[in-house]
Amino acid sequence: MIFPQRIADVVRLGLHGVVVHKVRSVLTVLGILFGVWSVIAMLAINAGLTVESQRQLRNLGSTNIIIDSVKPALTGGGTSSGNSGAKSFVLTYGLTRADVERLRDNPPGVIESAVMHWTRKNADANGKRQSVSVFGVEANYADVAGVPLAAGRFISSADLIRRRACCLITRELAADLFPCEDPLGKTVYLSDRTAAHAVTVIGVLDQLPQALSRHAGSGQRCVIIPLTTDLATFGEIMVHATQGSIDAERVQVSQCILRMADEAAVLAAAPIVRDLLERYHEGVRDCEVRVPVEEIELMKADRRRWNFMFVMIASVSLLVGGIGIMNIMLASVTERTREIGIRRALGAKRRHIVTQFLVESVTLTAIGGVLGIVIGLLVPWIVRRALGFETLTTAATLLVPFVMAVVVGLLSGLYPAMRAARLDPVEALRHE
Amino acid sequence: MPPLVQLHDVWRVYPVGDEGVCALAGVAMDIHEGEHVAIMGHSGSGKSTLLNLLGCLDRPTAGRYCLGGSDVSGMGDAQLSDIRNRRIGFVFQSFNLIPWLTLLENIEVPMFYRGLPRRQRRRRSLELADMLGLGDRAAHRPTELSGGQKQRVAIARALANDPLILLADEPTGNLDTATSGEILAVFDELNRRGHTLIVVTHESEVAAHARRVVRLRDGRIESDQVTTSRGGPA
Repeated sequence: MIFPQRIADVVRLGLHGVVVHKVRSVLTVLGILFGVWSVIAMLAINAGLTVESQRQLRNLGSTNIIIDSVKPALTGGGTSSGNSGAKSFVLTYGLTRADVERLRDNPPGVIESAVMHWTRKNADANGKRQSVSVFGVEANYADVAGVPLAAGRFISSADLIRRRACCLITRELAADLFPCEDPLGKTVYLSDRTAAHAVTVIGVLDQLPQALSRHAGSGQRCVIIPLTTDLATFGEIMVHATQGSIDAERVQVSQCILRMADEAAVLAAAPIVRDLLERYHEGVRDCEVRVPVEEIELMKADRRRWNFMFVMIASVSLLVGGIGIMNIMLASVTERTREIGIRRALGAKRRHIVTQFLVESVTLTAIGGVLGIVIGLLVPWIVRRALGFETLTTAATLLVPFVMAVVVGLLSGLYPAMRAARLDPVEALRHE
Repeated sequence: MPPLVQLHDVWRVYPVGDEGVCALAGVAMDIHEGEHVAIMGHSGSGKSTLLNLLGCLDRPTAGRYCLGGSDVSGMGDAQLSDIRNRRIGFVFQSFNLIPWLTLLENIEVPMFYRGLPRRQRRRRSLELADMLGLGDRAAHRPTELSGGQKQRVAIARALANDPLILLADEPTGNLDTATSGEILAVFDELNRRGHTLIVVTHESEVAAHARRVVRLRDGRIESDQVTTSRGGPA
C-alpha cells in the first residue's frame, strides 16, 4: 500500500487551512482554549483542596488512632425528661481510665497513649473574662498530637508530678487577655462553679493541634494545663446551668490518642479498638473513633468522584467548543467543495480528504489546547489572589484536558470530513 | 499496439424521474497513443458526460472502458483515484487552481497524492514551470496571474505525473483570442512531443488544431473524421 503523505506533509496541509482562515481559526481556538482552561482550573482547584484536607488529616497524625468521648443521645432512665423543678443529676459517659488501659494493652503495635480531659471554664486576667476550653493533658500529648508552640515550653513530667499551676494558651486567647503585653509569666485565673485556680502562662500555642479542634469551640480560646493539676483542682465533674436547672457531666477521659508503630498497625488495630469499646460500653455510643489513615483512604475515593464531577462540568465548555469546531468545519467543507473536487480529480482518495479535514480540526483544537495549558499555568496565581488557597497543577492535570481537547477535535472533525470525502467529484467540480 | 483508450458500447443514464436521462447511448471509440482528438457537440450532446467518463470521474452505466490496457469501468473509488492521479491529466475551462496555493504548490498537488517526497516534487514542478515559461512566477498565487498564465499552470499540473492522456475541457473558453492561440500552440507542441490529447470544445478554431474530430449528438457519435492537414496558425 502506498500511503503517500508523510506525516509532515499532512500536517502542513492541515495547518495551511488554519493559516488561510485566520479569523475563523482564532475564534474556534478560543472556544477550545476556554474549555481546556476550565478543565485545568477545576482539576487544579480540586487537587489543591484535596492536598489541603489531606494535610489536615496528616496533622491528626497518620500513625494515630483518636478516640473522643461524646455525649450520647439521651435515652432511657435517668434523663432530665419530665423534671419540673430545679433538679440536678450527674450524667456519666465517655472513656474511662480502665478503657484507656485496655486500649493501650490490647491491640498490637501500640507505642504509647496520650489522654486529655476537657472542661469549659472561665478565664480571668487583666480584668477581662473569657469562656474557654480547658484541656488537661499529660506531658507526652505534645509529641503524640503535635503541638506547635509560638513561645515558651510545653508541660513537662515534672509539672505533672508536682501538679504545678502552669498553663499554655492559644494565640487567640493571648490576644484577648493580654493584648499589649507578653503573656509569658502572667497569671490567669481559671474558675468554674465549684473551684478557682490561678495558673501561670508558660507557653503560647502557634496553632491548636488538629486533634483538639473539635473540642475547642468557636474562637479557639483554649487553655492547656497539666492533667494532674486539672483533676486535683476541678475534678472530673463539669457543672453547667441551663435555664433553671443545673446539669453536671462526669467524664474521666475526654480523649485518648493511641500512637501506633506504623500505618499498617493503625489499619489492623482500628477494628479491634472499635470492638473493645463496643463491648465494654455495652452498645452505648459515647465515644467516637477517628482513624486519619482510613479517612485519607476515603478521601482519595472521594477525590476521584469529585474530580469526575468537576471534569464533567468543565467538559461542557469543551463540548461547546467541539460543536463550534464542527460548525466551522462544516462551513469549511461547503466553502471548499470546489477545492475538494479539484483534489479528487487530481488523484486524492477519500481518505486523503478525510485526513486533510481531520488534521485541520485537530490542529485547531491542539492549538487551543496548548494555549489553554499556557493560561492554565496561571490558575494557581489567580486562585491564590481571588480565593486565597493553593492549587495543585501536575503534568496530569495539564495533559488530561489537552488530550480531551484533541479527542473533541477528532470527533467533531469526523462528520464534516466524512461529508467532504463523500462528495461526488463531478458535482464538487461544478460547485461555484 | 492496442489502443490507449477503448470505449465499447458505453452508456451513461442519469436516474432522473421514472425513465432517467440517457446522456450517452452506446458510444464506441478507440484512441491511439499520440493522437490529438477534438470532441465536439452542442450543449446537451453528452460531451461533458463523455469527458467525465474518460477522466474516470464517473463510471459508465453499461459498457466497457479500457484505459492503457486495464478495464476501469468496474473499479472502486480508490482505484479510480489512482488512475486519475497517474494516467490522466486534466485541463479545465476555469483553470481550477487552488487559490491559496502558490503556482509551484498547485503544480505539485498530483505529485503530493502520488506520494513523491517534497524535494522531488519541487524539482519537477520547477522543471515544468520553466518548460511552460512560468519560471519567474514560481512563488505567485493564482490571483496574481493572467488567464493565460493560469492555464499554463494548469497544463503543468496536468503533466506532473506523466499521464497517458491529457484531457482538456474547453481549455480556451475563458481566454481572449491571442491567449487562446498561445495555449493552443502549447497543446500542439505537447502533441508533437508525443502526448495524447483529448480536447472537448465547441469552438471550431480549437477543433481545427486536432487531427481527428469526433462529433456527438444526443449521446451518440455523429461523425468521426480524421483531418489530414493541421489548420490555423501553428
